[in-house]
Amino acid sequence: MTGDPGALSTYYPTLLRYVAVAAGIAVVMFVVYRLLRRFGIKHEPATGFTLVLPWILGFLIFTVFPIGLSFYLSFTEYDILWDRPRQLEDSLFNYKRALSVKIVELPEGERPIQVLGTMEGPTPETVRYRELDRFTLGDKTYLIGATDGYFLKGVWLTLRYAVISVPLGMLGALAVALLLNQNIRGVGFWRTLYYLPAVLPAAAVALLWFWLFAPNSGLINWFLSPLYEFLGVGRPGWFTDENLVLPSFIIMGMWGIFGANTVILLAGLKNIPKDLYEAASIDGAGNWKKFRHVTIPMLSPALFYNLVTNLIGALTVFTQQAFIPTDRQDGWFVNWFIYNEAFNFGRMGYASALGWMLAVVIILLTLLVFRSSAAWVFYEGARQEGGA
Amino acid sequence: MTTKTQSLRTTETMQEDPYAARARFAGIVRKIMIYFFLLVGAAIILIPFFWMLSTSLKTESQLFTYPPEWIPEPLQLNNYVDAWAQLNRIAPGLTFTRIIGNTLFITVLAMFAEMFSAAIVAYGFARFRWKGRDLVFFIMLSTMMIPGTLTRVPAFLIWRELGLLNTYDPLTVPAWFAWGPAYIFLLRQFFLTIPRDMEDAATVDGANTIQIFFYVMLPLVKPAFLAIGVLSFQGNWNNFEGPLIYLNTTQMFPLVLAISFFQQSLSLEAPKWHYMMAMATMMAAPILLLFFMAQRYFIEGLTVGAVKG
Repeated sequence: MTGDPGALSTYYPTLLRYVAVAAGIAVVMFVVYRLLRRFGIKHEPATGFTLVLPWILGFLIFTVFPIGLSFYLSFTEYDILWDRPRQLEDSLFNYKRALSVKIVELPEGERPIQVLGTMEGPTPETVRYRELDRFTLGDKTYLIGATDGYFLKGVWLTLRYAVISVPLGMLGALAVALLLNQNIRGVGFWRTLYYLPAVLPAAAVALLWFWLFAPNSGLINWFLSPLYEFLGVGRPGWFTDENLVLPSFIIMGMWGIFGANTVILLAGLKNIPKDLYEAASIDGAGNWKKFRHVTIPMLSPALFYNLVTNLIGALTVFTQQAFIPTDRQDGWFVNWFIYNEAFNFGRMGYASALGWMLAVVIILLTLLVFRSSAAWVFYEGARQEGGA
Repeated sequence: MTTKTQSLRTTETMQEDPYAARARFAGIVRKIMIYFFLLVGAAIILIPFFWMLSTSLKTESQLFTYPPEWIPEPLQLNNYVDAWAQLNRIAPGLTFTRIIGNTLFITVLAMFAEMFSAAIVAYGFARFRWKGRDLVFFIMLSTMMIPGTLTRVPAFLIWRELGLLNTYDPLTVPAWFAWGPAYIFLLRQFFLTIPRDMEDAATVDGANTIQIFFYVMLPLVKPAFLAIGVLSFQGNWNNFEGPLIYLNTTQMFPLVLAISFFQQSLSLEAPKWHYMMAMATMMAAPILLLFFMAQRYFIEGLTVGAVKG
């Protein structure tokens, strides 16, 4: 750590550049507007385009260019200390390293083996297949080896987290929203209360739950201790127990996202016109039919919105994992894993490849949800933006 | 008044009709069930909050008493000062005021630029017809799918090329480029609801686009503008990833990074939960306060995208 530079000397240069960039954008907008007008474009389109220009510039500088660069870097080796990336002889090496899996038979009577084989690498360090898991088939035991088992474990953890926590979070929030919609007194009060966890900073939530789940003096183990005694089991280690890492994260995640989902669904419920229910009653629909054929379709845009945001959120967990240092052996959430590859181990090229794989998975899943939305999301009236 | 007359009417009918009595009883049971579930939910939410507060007021030895003490005796209000003093000891110059200053510097600069640029861009999308507008708007919404993971490494390299690592620039300056698609979307939805006559009248009066934007349009979308203001404040105040990547000098750390630093350096072997809960409470307090003061805007910002779009 370097010495203290003093507060003002760290604020002042940034402030200067902050103002300069704002002025620069204003000048660019002005010039572009003038140019457009000179080329005979009318006032309205010229103004509209000019106003959107800041976003277009930002998109090119901070999204398009980095995405392209990251694509290029994913085929290179690039230590954080180097000036330039180094071309890989096998350009797909980073991707192979992340995904290579090998299954070998456990030789009988041998000592447990550590290295199941090697993969040709571009660097002096050979890339080894290490044991990831083992399984028995018939009377033989097989070992599954991977060149980056930690990454695969992270992927496995993240996917399971998303698959379990997203539906749970949506169903739970739907139940609470329906409760709050039952003409109860002080809806505003309850809504505020249920939204509170979503307001708490993710860092604070993570620390709080890390403490609640503490194995020896945590509140949850104290609260459940009669149950443990009854079952005759010891206190579980939660975040320190390889089998309970995932449930612990799911419980914590539920607590955090519940409120936001509920508030969105409640707003959706309040938006459903009462006469739809009356019409359904006249047609002889019971409570279940009303729920199935009025509430769910009318609520589907809100459910859809929750599904998309929760899915992306679940696949990019970062802060929670940063404040809850679980064992890397048990899997780290991929977003945090990739951050560590890049900035702790300095493997920028490798991290770019991993980042690309995560992005592709997220985009594919989101598109899948969007495609399916045509079948189950109901938009009242004609909408210009459709699925967007 | 209406509830009173209703209940009177039910009593009347009750005497005549035994079915009504049963229905009323079922209604009461249902109400009780609803409130029971709501209270269980409230307990699940509030107990952790209370535990956070309670822990932050304990001594180190009280952390491990069994059964746990809910209201520590005496209240260790000192924790709120001592935690930062401990941190200051290992990082000279990193006082509490300095940390708050750093956090506010980042938050206010980023928030202001974010709000302002989002409003301008949203206005351009909502009110002017130009070729390719809908396509650009669609692309903008699609960028919400791109995870930060993908642009993290190259963005870091760009800032390194510019020689601006370990400055506040990466956390504040790009906010001028309207980096929040969700905010643009939210504001655009609001701009769309404003009748065109407003601008037409102003144009007749000889106002130009800039004047119309500042004096007519912006005041009209004030609720949405404040909604993205509170969301942006919350987002930047809580932002952990950005500072973690770009800031090295301990003295420049904002709150969240200071807490992380405390956890990594002073609380690793024997967790100092009382200090960490005090710090977490202090980090959460301004956000909770803002939430209670501007709740309407939080809810508005949260729901408009989901319900109206």
